[in-house]
Amino acid sequence: MFSTADTIVAIATPPGRGGIGVVRLSGPQAASIVCRFTNRERFEPRHATLVRVIGEDGASIDHAVVTHFPSPHSYTGDDVVELSTHGSPVVLDAVVRAAVRAGARLANPGEFTLRAYLHGRIDLVQAEAVGELIDAVTPMQARVAFDQLDGTLTAQLREIDRALLDLIAPLEASLDFPEEGYHFIEPGAAATALDGIAASIDRLLADAARGRLIREGMTVAIAGRPNAGKSSLFNRLAGAARAIVTDVAGTTRDLLTERVDIAGVPFTIVDTAGLRQRAGDAIELEGIARAQQAVAAADVLVLVLDRSGAVTDDDRALLETTAARRRVIVASKSDLAPAWDASALRALEVSSVTGDGFDALRRAIGDAAGAGILRDRAAIANMRHVVLLEKARDTLSRATHAASAAVAEEFVLADLHEARGCFDEITGARPRDEVLQLIFDRFCIGK
Amino acid sequence: MGRDVAICTLSMDTIAHMPCNPAIGGTAKGHLVREVDALGGLMGMAIDATAIQFKLLNASRGPAVWSPRAQADKKVYGEWVRAALEGEPGISWLIARAGRILLKDGRVSGVAMEDGSICLCEAVVVTTGTFLNGLVHVGLDQKPAGRAGEPPSVDLADSLKSFGFSWGRLKTGTPPRLHRRSIDFSRFQEELGDQPPVPFSFQSGAIDRPQIACHLLYTTERVHALVREHIGESPLFNGQISGVGPRYCPSLEDKVMRFPHRDRHQIFLEPEGLHSDEIYVNGYSMSLPADVQADIVHALPGLEDAEIVRPGYAVEYDFIQPTELDSSLQARRLPGLFLAGQINGTSGYEEAAAQGLLAGANAARFAAGLTPTRIGRDEGYIGVLVDDLTTRGCLEPYRMFTSRAEHRLLLRIDNADLRLTPRGRELGLVDDCRWGKFEARRDRLERNRSTVRAGTVSVRGQRIPAERALKQPDVDVRVLVREGQLALDIADPVLDFISLETSYRYEGYLRRQTESVERLKTQELRAIPADFEFAGIPGLSRESVDRLSSVRPETLGQALRIPGITPAAVALVAAHVSGHLTR
Repeated sequence: MFSTADTIVAIATPPGRGGIGVVRLSGPQAASIVCRFTNRERFEPRHATLVRVIGEDGASIDHAVVTHFPSPHSYTGDDVVELSTHGSPVVLDAVVRAAVRAGARLANPGEFTLRAYLHGRIDLVQAEAVGELIDAVTPMQARVAFDQLDGTLTAQLREIDRALLDLIAPLEASLDFPEEGYHFIEPGAAATALDGIAASIDRLLADAARGRLIREGMTVAIAGRPNAGKSSLFNRLAGAARAIVTDVAGTTRDLLTERVDIAGVPFTIVDTAGLRQRAGDAIELEGIARAQQAVAAADVLVLVLDRSGAVTDDDRALLETTAARRRVIVASKSDLAPAWDASALRALEVSSVTGDGFDALRRAIGDAAGAGILRDRAAIANMRHVVLLEKARDTLSRATHAASAAVAEEFVLADLHEARGCFDEITGARPRDEVLQLIFDRFCIGK
Repeated sequence: MGRDVAICTLSMDTIAHMPCNPAIGGTAKGHLVREVDALGGLMGMAIDATAIQFKLLNASRGPAVWSPRAQADKKVYGEWVRAALEGEPGISWLIARAGRILLKDGRVSGVAMEDGSICLCEAVVVTTGTFLNGLVHVGLDQKPAGRAGEPPSVDLADSLKSFGFSWGRLKTGTPPRLHRRSIDFSRFQEELGDQPPVPFSFQSGAIDRPQIACHLLYTTERVHALVREHIGESPLFNGQISGVGPRYCPSLEDKVMRFPHRDRHQIFLEPEGLHSDEIYVNGYSMSLPADVQADIVHALPGLEDAEIVRPGYAVEYDFIQPTELDSSLQARRLPGLFLAGQINGTSGYEEAAAQGLLAGANAARFAAGLTPTRIGRDEGYIGVLVDDLTTRGCLEPYRMFTSRAEHRLLLRIDNADLRLTPRGRELGLVDDCRWGKFEARRDRLERNRSTVRAGTVSVRGQRIPAERALKQPDVDVRVLVREGQLALDIADPVLDFISLETSYRYEGYLRRQTESVERLKTQELRAIPADFEFAGIPGLSRESVDRLSSVRPETLGQALRIPGITPAAVALVAAHVSGHLTR
């Protein structure tokens, strides 16, 4: 149940980048919790105070402007504290984490509005969101809605959740039905299953970290030999003539960067000097060295090969050295007569003159960066989910440890049920007797 | 509790009769018996005094799932309970068929018997078992009966129905009984009980009585073929039975038809008593025609010549949706009417005993004008049972399982007395003798804890605090005592060690579960007034209002457990209940 007596915290501004982000706490402990991670004693009501937010390691995360709205004159009617910081999702997440460490609870969806309604701060018409919350989100409906969601992460969560249930059911059966002549689960099978589940959660958490990385912005380096058409491509992606484009090979000497939005994700694209064995002068040499550094540091590479001329040794060397990287191969100048078959290298044909192929290129960059996980509706980049997954992971480690130390099954199961509770909070609750249901469906129980 | 009680029954000979498997206990059911015993009930002592084979189930697992089970000497068990009741002052007997519940001023005032006689009283506990509109099926034959050979209760069913309760129909079944001398036991695998037995009752002490063997055999392909061949004559499969049967206790027909890939099923041959000639064929419950049952029995190797004393049968009966009851097992529609056992949708003697004890105690308190007693989900399986029934209702016969208890680690057989005997004492159910024993045992545990806290022991050549030693899974406190390293006061070698050992070895788990109970306490303790109007809350959907109004949860915790009720809806209710919102 939503308790109305504790202090909740959440990011109050819409997800994604913005100039300023707001983290809001509501509840009797709101002010004292914020004091704890800002090294303050108190906050003047309704005054903006500039503070430093202290992170887990004691280092400062960011500056924030703190405003304290004492009860009942606040959005929810509780004591409310709002922290305005820079809009970076990473900073906002870190502030929320600091608040959770200091004793706040992550708010459930709609909980601020619910409190505002419960305290009579808004009426029911205003709180339409609350109405939806009450009518639409029975735990079972949440489960049904979840099961209908499409997306890779949703599928992965569903799979882990199912694996957990598949492990719990035979373990429970062996406790409740010891005399049925069944070996519900082979010795050692529980430990193996637990390892598998833990590994899946670890992968999801890694994805979550990647999701944050993507939101924070990844870099895309455009690389290729001189005069392959990199700068034209850069200009087209940037939507402005930022780079000087000439027919002279090696025109670009230094790195040029531009922030662009590709597939809904912010990227920093980097135009680099052409890579070739025989450089013209010292400036070009330095340019090539910088280009190589940029290529090494980039999250995604766009390799530009001139389709109107033959593939050269420099091209082949570049293809070979970057084979293991996230990359998109581009056959440029598709408006000119082809000198080779782009499909052989699975290259995208683009023309910076006509713009042909750029939609496909943007999609390919997004895919290579894994931006897809951000479009997944159940994306666990959601902070609440990450916290729950981490808790599930910790609980499962305890279960694994207990299972290997031959602790009695009912204790291992206590941990597994706790982990399952974390999943229920992400995916919606399962019916209470689902474990028994599964046992009766699968095994012939009873004398 | 000092009230006058009348027991109305068709015959004193069927007191504590066991029409189905003459066994008490089993996983989670054994826990219920321990709790009934801890509250001063008779079941534990009755089975300890009359059992012919004892087994502690799950003894190789952890202490929270240890469950005693024992086979009763059916006849002697009934006689023992009857004698105990007859020895109890304040109980009178009414040998009659109950007919109508009488009302006065909207509450129960008595019961009219079918023979016209009337018994006036303050409160009634109805425990009709399978008798309400009972219908017994053997093959295509069906006749109204509460049990084979005993007429059903029809007038009482009509009387109860006139109050507007929500009803349902369930089914259960029983196997054929065989004559002992017609069976060749040498053909089967022998199954022995535990020696020495672990008793059910905290009162019993060591049990030293002859124990019998049971025998294990398996169904064969020939049996399965016969069932398939005659499945059209089974009332379970030809549409004759509409009641819902228990999935955890399937008939032979169900086993064969629902699990076609299982090539054999276990059958246990269990004597119904030391001197009884009847053998109970556990696992062979069926309702096929009697001649087909004979073929199916004779198809088993070793039972070729078995004589069938009584065929198996299925029985359908009415029950009242237990969401009609409050947590004291009183019907909300009718003050003074309490229901217990199969009429509430449960199956099993133990589930019935647990409800009977609670309903009886609350009926006595009602009659005396006292507030009812309630047992929480964190206090006992009895609490889990009553809470499940009253918040969720029944779709199939309800049997207790340990997996139903979310605080399972805290609800162990070794601490049933610590959890419930003080409550039983408060209620007036625990006599001085039992209370004295309990206090001694509690003090012993406390003394032993102090000894452990203060002591050090040597483990693998190292001297360490005893407390730390007991936390290690491979250190056995019994060995430390035997080696003279720890001087503990042990009177009960099972209980005393287990209570002590568990509290150290599983400390972290027990602490986490206790913390979770504490977290839930606030909502479990927040009461919703009995006259609270859910319909008046703005924002609460019509469906939520309907469910809440029909189940009428007494606390916010119960409201949360009603299927389909959202946490947000309960938060709304909470805000209105606490009165800081005016409508």
